[in-house]
Amino acid sequence: MKSITLTVNGQPVSGSVEARTHLADFLRGQMGLTGTHLGCEQGVCGACTILIDGQPGRSCIALAAACDGSDIRTVEGFDDDPTMARLRKAFSERHGLQCGFCTPGMLVTARDIVNRLDTPDEARIRHALSGNICRCTGYQGIVEAISDVVAETAAEKAPCGAPIAPLGRAAPDVPPPSFEVAERKDASAGSGAASATISKPVMRVDDDGWTVLTLVMKAEQPRTKLWEVMTDIPTVARCMPGAEVTAVEGDRIQGRLTIRFGPISAGFNGTLDQQVDANARRVVLSGEGADAKSGTNVQGQLTYALRTEAEERTAVDIEVRFKLTGPLAQFGRSGLVRDFTSRLSSDFAGNLGRLLAGEDIGEAQQRQLSVLALLWGVLRDRLFRR
Amino acid sequence: MKPVDFDYSAAETVDEALTQLSGADVKVMSGGQSLGPMLNLRLVRPSALVGLAATAALRRIEDASGAVTVGAAVRHAEFEDGKVPDPAGGMMQYVARGIAHRAVRTRGTIGGSLAHADPAADWVTTLTTLDAVLTLRGAAGSRDVPMTGFMQGAFTTALRDGEIIESIRIPKRSESVRWGYYKICRKVGEFAEAIGALVVDPGQRYCRVVMGATDGAPVVLDDFSRRLAAEGAAALSGLADTVRATLPDANPVSLRQHEVALRRAIQQVYPS
Ligand SMILES: Cc1cc2nc3c(=O)[nH]c(=O)nc-3n(C[C@H](O)[C@H](O)[C@H](O)COP(=O)(O)OP(=O)(O)OC[C@H]3O[C@@H](n4cnc5c(N)ncnc54)[C@H](O)[C@@H]3O)c2cc1C
Ligand code: FES
Ligand code: FES
Repeated sequence: MKSITLTVNGQPVSGSVEARTHLADFLRGQMGLTGTHLGCEQGVCGACTILIDGQPGRSCIALAAACDGSDIRTVEGFDDDPTMARLRKAFSERHGLQCGFCTPGMLVTARDIVNRLDTPDEARIRHALSGNICRCTGYQGIVEAISDVVAETAAEKAPCGAPIAPLGRAAPDVPPPSFEVAERKDASAGSGAASATISKPVMRVDDDGWTVLTLVMKAEQPRTKLWEVMTDIPTVARCMPGAEVTAVEGDRIQGRLTIRFGPISAGFNGTLDQQVDANARRVVLSGEGADAKSGTNVQGQLTYALRTEAEERTAVDIEVRFKLTGPLAQFGRSGLVRDFTSRLSSDFAGNLGRLLAGEDIGEAQQRQLSVLALLWGVLRDRLFRR
Repeated sequence: MKPVDFDYSAAETVDEALTQLSGADVKVMSGGQSLGPMLNLRLVRPSALVGLAATAALRRIEDASGAVTVGAAVRHAEFEDGKVPDPAGGMMQYVARGIAHRAVRTRGTIGGSLAHADPAADWVTTLTTLDAVLTLRGAAGSRDVPMTGFMQGAFTTALRDGEIIESIRIPKRSESVRWGYYKICRKVGEFAEAIGALVVDPGQRYCRVVMGATDGAPVVLDDFSRRLAAEGAAALSGLADTVRATLPDANPVSLRQHEVALRRAIQQVYPS
């Protein structure tokens, strides 16, 4: 538990909260200030908007503990506020509310619009109101109420410090003169480029839900030497970012793939079967793994085959196939997965190239993705793009 | 849903944050505007969070001769309100105003946005266009990484375990700088479907056109930028081909959106 001290609606308040308690739960649950409403708890709907240190903020994604020492004002705390008095009257006259669920957040945002923006027009009001969702009114009454108060206060308003220019920008009518771009000294060229080249991965999705990626790596190495390396699974695994071999029994490999995507991480545990076709110089690794957190399974297959291109040059045809099953299967096609998988494949090939060239690949930098993250990508689209 | 149980402490100094960050499953939290929703959904389940929002060293704003340097915890609203000196013709102020909603901008930070590395977010594309350089700090010291090498893909960055973004250095452009920015989204304040951004500075012979909100990191259109600087609006005739060649896997809708976003951004600088 954390002790916090806040000023809430002008009164000093101390309390003890769990670190995970968000500010809205603290205000509603511990202070009994139920005027602050919770709609989405994702920062999207705006119902929980209150003033934190004088600025509107989402109380559902602000931790109470992180607001220690702050000055908080909720819809219950505006009795003496002249702008809010006008807004209350205008909302009532213009039918700016029906069920009232969005109203506490609407009022706080409306007050910010009136006080902060320099006589906003209707378009600007709607723009600034876009972070507050109302399921009832269709916004017309709300916008009219705010416009009324903007008009009433315009005359008496002290000029703002820095005037806020209208949205959009004046396009210049004369284009810049033509010029030649200065040469840049770019230090970004990677290492290992000389010893192996990798084609851009090509991706397709099969009808039965398998995502298939193919790419070709070319290494300046004779085929036999390359074959030695590529049948040594722990070595190959070292080239795979985030992979770790925990046990090898015959053709069966136990391992773990740690995957990370932004702040989310997850571990897939699984087994791989190795099939080596020495004649065709081909290795197939197939396996399955599960992520306990999301209950999602991944089946995957990595195939690579070696072709001699010249005495000292070998081409490796690489194919990566994978399929997600479980709640997240439908997201296997998303662009984010495609981008991720193709980077993973390129990293793998790149590390392998460096290894073959005798360079130290160190701990292969973890390139990670989790199914939870996919879920985030999708939820983000659903929640934030509506 | 409510987050899992975790510990929280606010770091007063960067060193303090780095020490705490060495624990297992410890994450930093800046504005909490991306982390908050993920915590509430339990997509992120940390053992502890270290708060950076009030860490003094990360709230610095510095105006030197060649560049403006801002600490990672400077908020979107501070750019919007003109509290940050302007490095390039007002571009950052304009972009800041279009990020999310005011109540998110008052808490969300530039460093949090870059570390989160959502392809559809505004700062990753804008700072790539402006050729910003990030200073990352870890237990082993600090290192500089240009924005073009920082974001490696969707939600993936050059940050190593235990490292944080300390500051962002944005080069100042000359008096003659012009810029364009256009994002396509279905509703104000949401993440973009496509972003077109460019900075043209004849004084510094700098021109960079960037395609943002792809499936991965923002793409710098180097050849196209060079052509645009030399030929002006005439270069637009090659835009569709450039977009198609850059995103060979994209569907027709997405290709069109990227082309339109770029065209509109470019037309803000090169009226045609
Ligand atoms: C409703 C809504 C709409 C939004 N719309 C947009 C939009 O249109 N455009 C847009 O660009 N963004 C949008 N956002 C995201 C917003 O801009 C966030 O503020 C930003 O992405 C994250 O910044 P933050 O400071 O809140 O980071 P946090 O949420 O605190 O952290 C995000 C991630 O970065 C890490 N992190 C934070 N600071 C550091 C650091 N200094 N060093 C290393 N790692 C760090 C954290 O560990 C975490 O993984 C939206 C958010 C919401 C809630
Ligand atoms: S409950 Fe906070 S924004 Fe919806
Ligand atoms: S009045 Fe019912 S949601 Fe707005």
